[in-house]
Amino acid sequence: MSESPTSRLVARELTLAYDDHTVVADLDLDVPDGEVTVVVGPNACGKSTTLRALGRLLKPKRGSVLLDGTQLARIPTKRIAQSIGLLPQSPVAPEAITVADLVSRGRQPHQHWWQQWSEEDERAVTDAMERTDVTALGDRLVDELSGGQRQRVWIAMALAQDTDLLLLDEPTTYLDIAHQVEVLDLVRQLAVPTPGGGRGRTVVMVLHDLNQAARYADHLVAMKAGRIAAQGRPGDIVTAELVREVFGLASLVVPCPVTGDPLVVPDAPRITSPRKAATPS
Amino acid sequence: MTGSLSAPRQGVPAGYRSIRTRRTSWLVHTRATWVALALMAALFAAAVASLTLGETTVAPTEVVKVMFGRPSPDELVVGTLRMPRLVVGLLAGAALGVAGALIQTVARNPLASPEIIGVTHGASALTVGAMTYGVTSYAALPYLSVTGGLLAAALVYLFAWRGGLHATRFVLIGIGISVALRSVTQLFLTKGDYLVAQQAKVWMTGSLNGRGWDQAGPLGIALLLLLPLVVWSARAQRSVTLDDDTATALGVHLGRNRLGLVFTGVVLASVATGAAGPIDFVALLSPQIARRLTRTAQIPLVSSALLGAFIVTLGDLLARKLFAPTELPVGVLTAAVGAPYLIWLIVRTSRSGRSASAGAKQ
Repeated sequence: MSESPTSRLVARELTLAYDDHTVVADLDLDVPDGEVTVVVGPNACGKSTTLRALGRLLKPKRGSVLLDGTQLARIPTKRIAQSIGLLPQSPVAPEAITVADLVSRGRQPHQHWWQQWSEEDERAVTDAMERTDVTALGDRLVDELSGGQRQRVWIAMALAQDTDLLLLDEPTTYLDIAHQVEVLDLVRQLAVPTPGGGRGRTVVMVLHDLNQAARYADHLVAMKAGRIAAQGRPGDIVTAELVREVFGLASLVVPCPVTGDPLVVPDAPRITSPRKAATPS
Repeated sequence: MTGSLSAPRQGVPAGYRSIRTRRTSWLVHTRATWVALALMAALFAAAVASLTLGETTVAPTEVVKVMFGRPSPDELVVGTLRMPRLVVGLLAGAALGVAGALIQTVARNPLASPEIIGVTHGASALTVGAMTYGVTSYAALPYLSVTGGLLAAALVYLFAWRGGLHATRFVLIGIGISVALRSVTQLFLTKGDYLVAQQAKVWMTGSLNGRGWDQAGPLGIALLLLLPLVVWSARAQRSVTLDDDTATALGVHLGRNRLGLVFTGVVLASVATGAAGPIDFVALLSPQIARRLTRTAQIPLVSSALLGAFIVTLGDLLARKLFAPTELPVGVLTAAVGAPYLIWLIVRTSRSGRSASAGAKQ
């Protein structure tokens, strides 16, 4: 993949706080266009908080988030919604809503009172449902779906919004490993340039699993205690050193046998199962 | 539903139909449209029945003649005596239906309605207070009642607002303020003259008895002025049904929309209460029944309005005929029907969990 130096979305000296409790301090971040950026870090390191600020769900205490050079606070929220989509960690659907109805809500920022279901809306919703493979679920109720299906429906809604930038807060929570891979593959697919020569979407997501992050990220951002500890290509930055620094975990970093990406294997457990230890080699 | 059940339809979400002209496009919920049409027919029938039946029975054909402004020998009974009463009932019912729908949407709670969050009791307290202190003119009372409702709602909003509107806090504070205001009303009733207390009590149960064009006119004008807000609400309502983060990410002005929706609901409820007294349960019931009928993801405004109007019209008809020649206030009847329904609703929801919504599939 060629280096892409441009960034539509950047954070400058961003300080975020809940009441007086500062969570993120003086953070500078350039989100590379057309790439998948994954933010990782230990619990409470401020990764989700940063994502919320990038999507203007949280107002900065100091500093700013800029979209195309303009502070988010100065852009009408509907205009932001035409460029940045965001899927929160646990979105709540209205009671008794059908899948297609929910996905169509993603078109809201593009609609007006006189223009509530344009052909463009129809195309975007159909397309989003096809890409996430929920077309067949269209008239089902969201309440009845399994966790994996529901997550795909929410992603479909965010896709229907048809934004260049997509922010996802732990899209794999509550999913089993097969569904996690399914969702991540889908996200990866979004950043792939379209056949027509158009650039793929820019994705920023928060993930818990370091190995998944290393596998799916173009640009990896490791956060610790409200600051960026390291960022860059996973192959360049994921080392045993970094894992120790960020997570406080002793580990071995080896190339993944499948993809060659860095694979973090935690160090030998302090207590091994006696049955396993007894197994003759 | 109809023929297009085959493969999942591409493009238009299931249950909707799109209408497009060159520069505009709309999405119409098919079932909600049919429900609204059916309710209109039922409402028309109830209105004709209400004008037909009374101390003297007028032939329905004559009633329809009067309704469409054609000359008829029964013009006095139907046009002058019964019509204004019917109109007040229709308008107040429709306003209460919409008010309940809007407040329930914002509170995300089917139990939130003007009578529970303090609007009705604010209206009562101020009206009864004024009556106790000698204001008995039916020209002034509606305005006092509107003021009372708005004040109570403002008080609830003030206490419930903490950097944002939390639904549960909103309902709980509303209930608290309602109870306080009810005590104030009781205080006025005990303090006041016996006859005034009697009159106040009739007003407090919500009665359409003796309502004339004097009440119907201002009510109609007030609602007409509110119509643009209601039209705006229909769209704003759709945008606040998602959770806060998702809605904000979709570019919704949550705070502004919620305030606008609650304001519209409160004004509608206050205006209706001013004209007809606090008719209980209509604002609570209509949106919930309407939603079960239309099976839409949000509470349907048009159907709620029609259902509210229907309930009040039918309720008033029964209140007049059931124990004739004694007339019951319509509020007694709506409460008698509404309370059991409310209990049934709560029991059914807690017993069958989500099956009420899941059942909509079949």
